[in-house]
Amino acid sequence: MPEVSKMKKPDVKVVLLGDMNVGKTSLLHRYTERRFKDTISTVGGAFFLKQWGPYNISIWDTAGREQFHGLGSMYCRGAAAVILTYDVTNWQSLAELEERFLSLTDTANHDCIYALVGNKADLTDPKAQLSPDSDVASEECEESGCPTPPASPASLSGMTLHKQVTPEDAAALYGRILRYKGLEEKSSLPAEKLCFETSAKTGYNVDTLFEALFDLVLPCILRKRNENQESPTVDLEECRGTSNKRTRSACC
Amino acid sequence: MERDNHQEGEAQGVKICDPPCESNPPADTLATSLSLLGNHMFPDPVERNNSTTVNKQELSNPILSDVTEEEKSVDAEPQSNQVTKLEAEEAEISECQNNASSQTLDEGTEDAATDNDRSDSGEFVVAMLAKAKLEEQGIGVKGRSSPLLEAGIQESPAFMSHRDEDVTAESWRQHRKHVFVLSEAGKPIYSRYGSEEALSSTMGVMMALVSFVQSGDNIIRSVYSAEHTVVFLQKGPLVLVCVSNSRQTEQQLRGELLYVYYQIISMLTQASISRIFEHKKNYDLRRLLAGSEKILDGLLNLVDSDPSFLLAAVHCLPLASSLRDSLSQILLKAITPNLVFSILIANNQLLTIVQEKTVIEDARLEPADVHLLLNLIGASSAFQAGEIWTPICLPLFNPDCYFYAYISYLDPPECTVCLLLLSTDKEAFYAVAECKRKIEEAMTAQNSLSLIAKVQSYSVSQVGVSDLRHFMYKPFDVPDNYRQLTQFTSPEMEAPYSSEEEKMRLLDLYRYMHSRIHSTSRPLKLIYHVAERETLLAWVTSKFELYTCFSPLVTKACAITAITKLLRWIKKEEDRLFIRYPQKYSTTPNPSKSSRGGKSDQQDSTENGFLSLL
Repeated sequence: MPEVSKMKKPDVKVVLLGDMNVGKTSLLHRYTERRFKDTISTVGGAFFLKQWGPYNISIWDTAGREQFHGLGSMYCRGAAAVILTYDVTNWQSLAELEERFLSLTDTANHDCIYALVGNKADLTDPKAQLSPDSDVASEECEESGCPTPPASPASLSGMTLHKQVTPEDAAALYGRILRYKGLEEKSSLPAEKLCFETSAKTGYNVDTLFEALFDLVLPCILRKRNENQESPTVDLEECRGTSNKRTRSACC
Repeated sequence: MERDNHQEGEAQGVKICDPPCESNPPADTLATSLSLLGNHMFPDPVERNNSTTVNKQELSNPILSDVTEEEKSVDAEPQSNQVTKLEAEEAEISECQNNASSQTLDEGTEDAATDNDRSDSGEFVVAMLAKAKLEEQGIGVKGRSSPLLEAGIQESPAFMSHRDEDVTAESWRQHRKHVFVLSEAGKPIYSRYGSEEALSSTMGVMMALVSFVQSGDNIIRSVYSAEHTVVFLQKGPLVLVCVSNSRQTEQQLRGELLYVYYQIISMLTQASISRIFEHKKNYDLRRLLAGSEKILDGLLNLVDSDPSFLLAAVHCLPLASSLRDSLSQILLKAITPNLVFSILIANNQLLTIVQEKTVIEDARLEPADVHLLLNLIGASSAFQAGEIWTPICLPLFNPDCYFYAYISYLDPPECTVCLLLLSTDKEAFYAVAECKRKIEEAMTAQNSLSLIAKVQSYSVSQVGVSDLRHFMYKPFDVPDNYRQLTQFTSPEMEAPYSSEEEKMRLLDLYRYMHSRIHSTSRPLKLIYHVAERETLLAWVTSKFELYTCFSPLVTKACAITAITKLLRWIKKEEDRLFIRYPQKYSTTPNPSKSSRGGKSDQQDSTENGFLSLL
């Protein structure tokens, strides 16, 4: 992946937001590396480039810790999509999205797409325990580094936990987000399309989430490219075409 | 060393006023609160007999404690070249017994007698307090017993989480070194082992101790027992406490606490911590540090296992000077406005470092700041494919402002070579990431990565001195490399120091030698120390500090010759072992932006949103 993405200019920006320990890094890791592993609490934000067809999508995996709160709006600047992540076994993590993270998205694009993702669905939902890949079962099943109290023991013993956040709660929050952004519910994408329940551990719904979202930001990419073409600035990079893997000249 | 001096300076600056008449009643309360503390910390059935009856007079009687102090210094005298610490240790024990008078039990211990578990510990701590040094007359470091008497290795640095540990268990008490951080309001912030919640009463008692001593216009610095040393460090609104049975000196332990403090500062900045506590005295700082426990855990493991911290110097990877120069050149060519430091790291050791010109004129990068950066990278590298952008404060450079660190591995998926770029501009991510592209490109062109991959630390056998097992050599600032990063060089630890236990044992010996050389009361220049399983020789001059370890049968003359040979070898290899000529570049047309404590930087820390939390 680094080979391909090395010199590309990102076309669009997607940001993962959410409280600490909800599994943002794990979700992204599952999607990019196809596996689940122990992660350590993210510091600051981590930047990834994902090749999506002919497009380059930059993904910011941010730290959920309050320590880095002030950076959130910087990561969100100009974002085309924000993935608001919560933990289905933790009501507070959903509440935090509204209290702490929603205001950070003020710097995002005006037509930014908001996805609500309830992670750790494998802890509450038997159907999420079935993994799409068969090799997953053999992998280590430790939850993320700093244990959220309910997560670790249960995931080890395989029992299901009480689900604290239902899809209806998420849909309701989605409605409130639209209102906060001053968007019409009718003209916006419906909640069913943008509320997901996933499991980074088993891989349940993870690809669906990212792929659906990337499809949704495509218009944004195309519009941006059009704008660029119309703009008086000549983009040397653009002229070389996307297949050109040559480097940009070192001019600054 | 600067830091140590600073510490001492602080100590001497404290006014002492200790009216003896006042102290009896408070001592009672203190004893009671101590028994609470002891409940968690120091149950020791062996010590119980010595300490059941404690002459509490000593607590309050400055004359008595003066006498004790004199005794100690007399004890310390006869230990010269050959270490005969055994005497000192015995003397200490008998002294302890003498102190234990036949005075009747006070309320505190009576109370405790009903509760068996409590009593042991409570009394024990009272005994310790009897020997507490309450910062009187800027007392120096007391003679400590030799690490040889007790290997003191109960556990190798473990990398499992200790967060869930049962704090009432014996195993918890057995830890070699506990570290606690609390706020002035007594709120727990961090504990190395066990959860802070479970320890909140213990930490409350620690705070009670601190404030009790403070109320007498004193500062509590340390408490000694036969088994443990408790060291206190107050830094702004934070109180750091170390409880150790590692036989390290108070000075060394305080230095380690300072590293913990700096690591916290590096994440939050000093300015925001003081601001937070100004607004809300009982703020729970764990809210901001949540998720950072692993960084602190990692730091403490490093402090125990990496001599860089003890020597306050940076260990760089030996590299042919031509390769190091070419790497520096690559870094020098990839710059952007507001970039101030470019650092290349391989396997957690420094390859090269280049700095912005105006920055290096103002100040130099301190080894401690580099240690914190390396620890941050080590602790946050779980997900290595991405490019990390995070605020970080370099506390010794400027404790109140943030740098923005760009961290990226150049050789995924192996992830051994790491690039660290520090900028003063929060928004500079894309510009800085572009620098990485250039660096990556140039390194590919010059095939640098495969050259770096071949680089290894060296073996002591390369020196060609038989009987020499290991050494640590730290050259001092000399005029021609003034303002350069303090570095040291050291070969791999090889057999017999290949197991974790043996490594730790050697490090403990080095720590002991270090403490003798840097003793505040009686510093030594040259120590020849015949230990049970090896012979050590430490030597400090105006130009360098050297610690060597030989096989046990080496003679003194032999060791001296060996050292001469070693010094000659180091001189010859100097260009390979150290970063010799740090390169500088100029990126900023406006020097104020990057200068120390620039206004623009300070705003960043406020922007980071801490105020909004209050």
